[in-house]
Amino acid sequence: MGNKQTIFTAQQLFHRYRDLAPQLVPLDYTNHPDVKLPYELIGSMPELKDNPFRQRIAEVFSEDGEGNMTLDDFLDMFSVLSEMAPRDLKAYYAFKIYDFNNDDFICKSDLEKTLNKLTRNELTEDEVRMVCEKVIDEADLDNDGRLSLEDFQHMIVRAPDFLSTFHIRI
Amino acid sequence: ALSTRDRIQAIRDLPMSFKDKKHIRWVSHKQIKMITKSFSSAKQTLKLWQGAMKSIGGKFGTSVLTYFVFLKWLLMFNIFSFLVNFGFVTIPLLVYKGLEILTGAGYFKYTVMYYGSYSNESLVGYNMQLAYFFTIAVYMVLCGISLIFSMAVNFKNNYVLADSTSNSAWQLLCTWDFSVTNEKAVKQRRNNLCVQLKESLSETAQQERLTVSEKLKHYGIHFSCWLLSTSLAFGCAAGIYYLLETKKHVKIYTSPEAKTLLVPFVVSLINLVIPLFYSLFNKFEHYSTHRKQIYALLIRNVFLKMSILSVLCYYWMKKVPDKGSEGWESMVGQSLYRLVLFDFLFLMLGSFFGEFLSNVIGTKLIPRMGVPEFDVARNVLELIYSQTLAWYEPYEQYIRHFISSSSVSVSLTHNCQPPRRSGRAAQMQTIFIFLLFFPFFVGALSIVAYTAWSLTPSKSCGPFRGLNNSFSAVDVWIDDLKNITGSQWVVEIYNNVIRSEIFYFLITLIILVIIYILWQVTNGRKELIRRLRQQIVNVSLNKWNLSSLEYIYILFMFLFLFA
Repeated sequence: MGNKQTIFTAQQLFHRYRDLAPQLVPLDYTNHPDVKLPYELIGSMPELKDNPFRQRIAEVFSEDGEGNMTLDDFLDMFSVLSEMAPRDLKAYYAFKIYDFNNDDFICKSDLEKTLNKLTRNELTEDEVRMVCEKVIDEADLDNDGRLSLEDFQHMIVRAPDFLSTFHIRI
Repeated sequence: ALSTRDRIQAIRDLPMSFKDKKHIRWVSHKQIKMITKSFSSAKQTLKLWQGAMKSIGGKFGTSVLTYFVFLKWLLMFNIFSFLVNFGFVTIPLLVYKGLEILTGAGYFKYTVMYYGSYSNESLVGYNMQLAYFFTIAVYMVLCGISLIFSMAVNFKNNYVLADSTSNSAWQLLCTWDFSVTNEKAVKQRRNNLCVQLKESLSETAQQERLTVSEKLKHYGIHFSCWLLSTSLAFGCAAGIYYLLETKKHVKIYTSPEAKTLLVPFVVSLINLVIPLFYSLFNKFEHYSTHRKQIYALLIRNVFLKMSILSVLCYYWMKKVPDKGSEGWESMVGQSLYRLVLFDFLFLMLGSFFGEFLSNVIGTKLIPRMGVPEFDVARNVLELIYSQTLAWYEPYEQYIRHFISSSSVSVSLTHNCQPPRRSGRAAQMQTIFIFLLFFPFFVGALSIVAYTAWSLTPSKSCGPFRGLNNSFSAVDVWIDDLKNITGSQWVVEIYNNVIRSEIFYFLITLIILVIIYILWQVTNGRKELIRRLRQQIVNVSLNKWNLSSLEYIYILFMFLFLFA
């Protein structure tokens, strides 16, 4: 595995990237062309189009923070989401995805937005509030009312499934 | 300078900013272009079931995928054992006897793949008896070692670190399955998550309100269900035994061959129907977590299958003193073959018609029942059961494996919906391997060992004919070796090491000591984890001003422990 596998996958990913917009992406990358695919194309990929977090994923991995991805961002995204990425790297990016306001903490409003994306307004406001309170109660170790990266990583450690659920097959 | 592989690994391990990674990436891009040509064969090997696994994972989620991962693991395992068996036993036999063995009256009796017909002669320098004995012994030992190894690896990854508290936080943030790509499946998962969250909210609200009488009611229901399932298992085992004993007196107006098919038919029927009963119990019993439900179901099914298998083995071993002209090896082998065949047939029928029928009934006739869920526990247990049968008679299941796996996946996609409550997939994988090893492998091993050591091979068939017991083949060989100079050391080792009981005692002692040491190490680590957690809490409560270096130290300790 190792070298051949990663290069093989990278080539496969390059072709997937190019297939999204063949007229924009050249085959020859030796001159470092500055090509960015808009978010709409990325979000329409079959692996992502039904994922409730697709916009956040694209925003986290894109350079400009808006979801428009270069080839590098694309490769980064799928390598972190592959099964070979180490747990800590995945935890780091998962934390960034759930942190909607980009303040390096998952606060209550971030949790509420996550919950709404996951349940699509099927829970009442009271229920949403109670669930978020429960999450913070259980996971907040330093008692500041919001989850830091360490709290999140600590929670991830207790969920051995995380490696297999935070994973997109391509 | 780092090699490319190390470089890529280093890139992966650090959350660097994108600009820094970019520079390193351009180098990799050049390599991409250089290796465009030679990928056809690499693609073939990497894509073994890759497409199918992706679509199943996408539609049904990771817990159903564990079934197929387990299946793939079993397949690799079996391919390896097939190669071992075929290479050392069947090929020499074929070479020697040629096609004579394949003709003759009765396909069951004389095929090459059949234990009873093995010759006990020695080919040129190749002692058939010894080959057979050692092949089976080595194969069993290798099976055992690989099972233990997989169990240890899985256990370390999935059990030592998991904590069973924190239900809600875990559900919310960690279980969203990013690999699900089908729109309907995503919608369904959302609904499931809502339902689970509402359940857990109401559970916490309700926990204070459970009165004594309600608790008693719960325990009563659990107890009666367990009693019922155990007595069902015992009843079936007793019924099978009774049937075996009185088989001759049953009046069936068909050929005597059909009579022999009666017992396998009944066994397979029981294996099909009773687990469905057990699944029905789920409607009455309520377990607090989905995992406990699956485990309870698994234990009941395991108990049923073990009791039936032990009754069958006991009956076959008992029949050994009756020596017919065919010898007991042939008789046992034939019964086993029929059992395996019927199990396979029923599995096919079960997956095609059973699930298809429930799908039809569920959607058209009684819409309230809904589409059948894919019962992971039941299907896994069927896999383990067929694997156990295979350890008795190694050849039949290689062909079945391919066919049954593809049929199950076809019926899955057409007829089932994902399970309503998703479980912890990683821990389930550990439990499956543990189940494979502990009751089933150990049982098979003990039966094979009993056969080799205590039972007298019959005089007219089987590779060990004419000896007092199978193990005597090794004795005979050692005696022969005494006459050959230069191999005295083998005889010495044999007499002093393998035949002495002290050797085995020492080995057991060493293994126990190693297990104890590993256990203490694990406990020590758990204690360290607890202390580190406490330290984090203390630090925040006392609001010490730790420098960033000390934070890094604490984090590093965490990472080191879990790496």
